[in-house]
Amino acid sequence: MKKKERSASGKRDRLLGIVTASPAAILLCIFTVYPVIYLIYRSLFSGSLISAEKEFVGIDNYREIFLDETFHKVLVNTIIYTVLFVGLTMVLAIIIAVWLNSSHQKKLNNMVEACIFTPHVISMVSVSIVFLWLMEPDTGFFNMVLTSLGLDKFAFLSSPSTAMLSLVLVMVWKSVGYYVLLVMAALQTVPASIYEAAELDNASKSRTFFKITLPMISPTILFTCVVASIASFRIFDAVNVMTQGGPVDSTNTLVYYIYAYAFRYGNPGVACAAGVVLLVLVCVMTYVQFGVSRNKVHYQ
Amino acid sequence: MGTIQLKNVKKQFDKDVVIENLNLEIADGSFTVLVGPSGCGKSTTLRMITGLDDPTEGEIYIDGQKVNDITPGKRDIAMVFQNYALYPTMTVRQNISFGLENKKIPKKERERRVKEICEIVGLTEYLDRKPAKLSGGQRQRVALARAMVKQPKVFLMDEPLSNLDAKLRAQMRVELIELHKRLGTTFVYVTHDQTEAMSMADTIVLMKDGEIVQQSSPRELYNNPNNVYAAQFIGTPQMNVLRDMLPDGKMLGFRPEKLYFHETDDPHITIKVQVATKEMLGSEIIYSLNSKYGTLMAKTDYELDTGAEASVCVPLSSVYLFDSNEKRAELDDKEVEVIKASFAE
Repeated sequence: MKKKERSASGKRDRLLGIVTASPAAILLCIFTVYPVIYLIYRSLFSGSLISAEKEFVGIDNYREIFLDETFHKVLVNTIIYTVLFVGLTMVLAIIIAVWLNSSHQKKLNNMVEACIFTPHVISMVSVSIVFLWLMEPDTGFFNMVLTSLGLDKFAFLSSPSTAMLSLVLVMVWKSVGYYVLLVMAALQTVPASIYEAAELDNASKSRTFFKITLPMISPTILFTCVVASIASFRIFDAVNVMTQGGPVDSTNTLVYYIYAYAFRYGNPGVACAAGVVLLVLVCVMTYVQFGVSRNKVHYQ
Repeated sequence: MGTIQLKNVKKQFDKDVVIENLNLEIADGSFTVLVGPSGCGKSTTLRMITGLDDPTEGEIYIDGQKVNDITPGKRDIAMVFQNYALYPTMTVRQNISFGLENKKIPKKERERRVKEICEIVGLTEYLDRKPAKLSGGQRQRVALARAMVKQPKVFLMDEPLSNLDAKLRAQMRVELIELHKRLGTTFVYVTHDQTEAMSMADTIVLMKDGEIVQQSSPRELYNNPNNVYAAQFIGTPQMNVLRDMLPDGKMLGFRPEKLYFHETDDPHITIKVQVATKEMLGSEIIYSLNSKYGTLMAKTDYELDTGAEASVCVPLSSVYLFDSNEKRAELDDKEVEVIKASFAE
């Protein structure tokens, strides 16, 4: 009798679970699972965006991109961009957050916070246009300052050797405030008494930072690294407005390559194949980041 | 050696003066307990000794050396925090040896000392666990071990037992007393719990509003309180103090356990009472008694029912006299006669 009652209540619980979870599950299927499946499916066909006709080509689209030298360059560019962007952003975010957290000058703190967070809320296109003007090689503000100081002009976005770095700096400037906020929130969860204990244990400031602060905020650092890496793998708007992938493909990244294939060259099959590569890369990268950091990240 | 001296110490947080002028001497090897209600300045005093807070004015000496400008890590002290403040990302072993690493003590020596301490406090099997995987009592032991391994001149403890359950707290009290005996180092212990203070201290420093009310041994504090505050802070239930019944605003105090339900041959006063409430504690009963002088508390093994009327005796040898400023006054023959007369009516 009791067993029956239990199984009945178990059934009810299961039903309730399914009913309450289903709206989210249905939306997830429509907007995430289906597009991913369709992306993979479409990458196996040729055809154009305009006509509905398409022809099954198997892995030809993949063969095409893997034999394409531009694609190789795009992959390398994307990885370089990601490493530079994530590395610079995280180091800067941690330094600024630690400084803000330890400084007791409230007014200055608020001003700095406002200054570094504001770029995050400005639209990417506006930021790109402003920096296009600032970095203009002949009449731009930056070079004006450099020449007035008696220094050589810098090519910024107009030279293949400096374009990527310039792009990274703009993106770091735009996003660092958001990551500072996340790291600061994590820093504030570290109890003051732990720092006091370290002080009594005669720990130097650098040892306190590397042995206590950093491990304590490691979950947030991992999270921000993963989020920043995924975001930088998908960089598109700044490239589109500022460089269109140039000069000489030096800032051409994976999503811009996908965009160009789909809408410029009218070849959605290849674009979808590159999209699948992006998906796989992001999955592998995230998996590796979690795997590598498993022993390093401390969850409370 | 581990003497501590605070000379004319003042502590102010913004405009809030917590301690006005504190002078305190703590003897080497003593187990000194700073006790008092919340906000009396006992934790602030402790934090100034550690160096985590700087005094606004005044001087602090440890072992005869002025330490005002010495950082906490270099004062040769160790502290056990109320919430233990263990490093959550480190194992027990790393927690204990962190201070030694900072002191650049060689690895072999470090390992030997960690092992030795862990055997004393019974942590050997937990060395590779992180604090989150330990019980409250085990965390407490790690905090103790972390302090002990540094072999400091002075141990400072800020309500270290307040997060433990009653049974474990009683057990840890005994262990701390034994530890103090074994190490012979100066212990300074902060608590608001008078039972802890009475049971562990060899010197109690009773504080109120940033001032020391009385500094003496537990026995002295219990038998010879300086004023009404000290008299009522120590002892449960607190001392009965009868106000407004002696001339010149003088007050009469006697402890609940010195109130007898039987006649005694010693000189005494007698009060008629009625039992209002009865708390059965096992070996003793705590009564709340209504009398014409107000509510009196009594602690005895004498059985009475609620509502029962009785006469209680208080021997005059157990009576304390306080003046109108609540300070302890001498109980001479003249005062005894006055008291007898007041109760005779």
